Amino acid sequence: MERTLSHVALFAALIAVLGFVPAVTLPFGVPITAQSLGIMLCGTVLGAKRGALAVLLFLLLVAVGLPLLSGGRGGLGVFAGPSVGFLIGFPVAAFVAGLVVERWTAPVALAALSGSVLGGIVVLYAFGIPGMALVLGKSIPEATGLALVYLPGDLIKCALAALVTRGIAQMRPGALLSRS
Amino acid sequence: MLTLTSPVETPLHRLPAGAKLAGLCLATVVLFRLDSPVPLGACLAMLAVLHLALGLRFASTALRLLVPLWPFVLVIAFWHLWLGEPAAGATILLRLVTAVAAANLVTMTTRLSDMVTVIEKIAAPLRRIGLSPRSLALAIALAIRFLPVLSQRMGQISEALRARSPRRAGYRVLIPACLAALDDAEHVAEALRARGGAG
Amino acid sequence: MAGTGTITEQGITLSGASYAVAGRPILSGLTLSLTEARIGIVGRNGSGKTTLLRLMAGLVAPTEGAVRIEGADPADRKAMLRHLGILFQNPDHMILFPTVGEELAFGLRQMGESAERAAAAVDALLAAEGRAHWAKAATATLSQGQRHYLCLLSVLLMRPRTILLDEPFAGLDLPTQARLARRFATLPQRLVTISHDPAAVATADRVIWLDAGRVRADGPPADVLPAFTAEMARIGEADADADLAG
Repeated sequence: MERTLSHVALFAALIAVLGFVPAVTLPFGVPITAQSLGIMLCGTVLGAKRGALAVLLFLLLVAVGLPLLSGGRGGLGVFAGPSVGFLIGFPVAAFVAGLVVERWTAPVALAALSGSVLGGIVVLYAFGIPGMALVLGKSIPEATGLALVYLPGDLIKCALAALVTRGIAQMRPGALLSRS
Repeated sequence: MLTLTSPVETPLHRLPAGAKLAGLCLATVVLFRLDSPVPLGACLAMLAVLHLALGLRFASTALRLLVPLWPFVLVIAFWHLWLGEPAAGATILLRLVTAVAAANLVTMTTRLSDMVTVIEKIAAPLRRIGLSPRSLALAIALAIRFLPVLSQRMGQISEALRARSPRRAGYRVLIPACLAALDDAEHVAEALRARGGAG
Repeated sequence: MAGTGTITEQGITLSGASYAVAGRPILSGLTLSLTEARIGIVGRNGSGKTTLLRLMAGLVAPTEGAVRIEGADPADRKAMLRHLGILFQNPDHMILFPTVGEELAFGLRQMGESAERAAAAVDALLAAEGRAHWAKAATATLSQGQRHYLCLLSVLLMRPRTILLDEPFAGLDLPTQARLARRFATLPQRLVTISHDPAAVATADRVIWLDAGRVRADGPPADVLPAFTAEMARIGEADADADLAG
């Protein structure tokens, strides 16, 4: 019980801290931040249930008014903005990423990469795009076009999530809760 | 901890948090029902007047919170001007800005502790699936406590990396940062147990 | 310090207590009965003294034998709160809350106090300590010495009969050490101090020297500490630091 609570709290803090890391701007001008990498890592490192809870706690902190989303955004306003679908999809994305690493006994890097792509891209976009369509008054294909600018950055993050998860598995095998 | 709650005391600060949240839900539903620029513009104008009545400093802080919306505003504006539907574009933009500003207003006028109390109340039924409001409050406190700790740790890690490498620390901070979070989690679990556990 | 009334006769007892990790012994067959008011445990890094503290604190269970605090199993932390407080070496591993007031109130809430009574007790304590202005302060902004002091206060507030101190002076500057030592000396509780530094336990009633998970010497500081200091000096000259553990 204490360990679940402490891991959930510490990883919620980690997602926030990753949002403080300055954004890297891709060649075609789209900023990518480490924050959604934090979402994927919650799943691949902590596993489905704890990972999703950590992300939910993070969203709760944002909702109660802490400026923890990348770029110092926060408060209830972000849930009325175009990113609302992505925010709602975050915990589901972490859950799916964690589930893949937990259930699929492939080498940890491969499982984490697949989990991140499935959770952090497929599932996350499935929530994010309709949200964007609704708030911006666009059709789903139009919103998909708008969301695609984030795809290259998100693919890079999936690769990083896989590398980091593998790194933890090598350095501290017992610490990878998704595989223990 | 830096929060988005405005340090400028306004009469809205004294309203109960639950009432403000309920009002916000209602307002958002109404905003998404309206679909022409005139009523939406009137809503935004009313909201702007309310902000100004609460003080110029308060209003300018609120305006700054809307800045991150600019890329979307730009895309929608160009999109609808290109299609020759300025009214449709204006509807979307007015609704977006008004809904976000209304939500920000609640955030700016509600203290963190009041917000957490409301959340504990909302989460009370979750007790049945094993999530007690007390552990939720504990988790919120722990996360806030460890934000500056992890942030500082991240800085130390990237300094340690740069001290031994000419390159920027970049993504290489991620593994030690995750390990630091995992280690801290074990220490916190132990400190919790030392003081009677989280049950 | 005997006769302060809060120190009971049963104290801490270990009977054949051992602790091993993955078959590697850390502590081997310790049998001790600790009833003195001031007890020091010294040893080198890796001698097992921190594991001994964790065993007494109920944070780990012995792999063999038994540990009893005032006759009870320390593993039930909730029941132990009145018997035993723990001051960890690193305050950053101990402080759980963003503000001083919340940190102090937590222990009392854990012991079943209402939020109002806990808050009142915290205010009273801080006022008595001349630190009423600390209540709303962020724990992250306190200095190292202040954080250490906060941890001590949060333990004292729970009024345990015994306090375990893990390297209580490590990393503190000399004035802070002196202040803390003065404070320890006035406490009515039984104190078990764990340290690698003989000076930290020089005024104890009883000192136990732990070496490779076993008791190497046990007695009054005047008997144990000179031998300990001489042995540490001998090892230091022999450059015995090249072996890797496990």
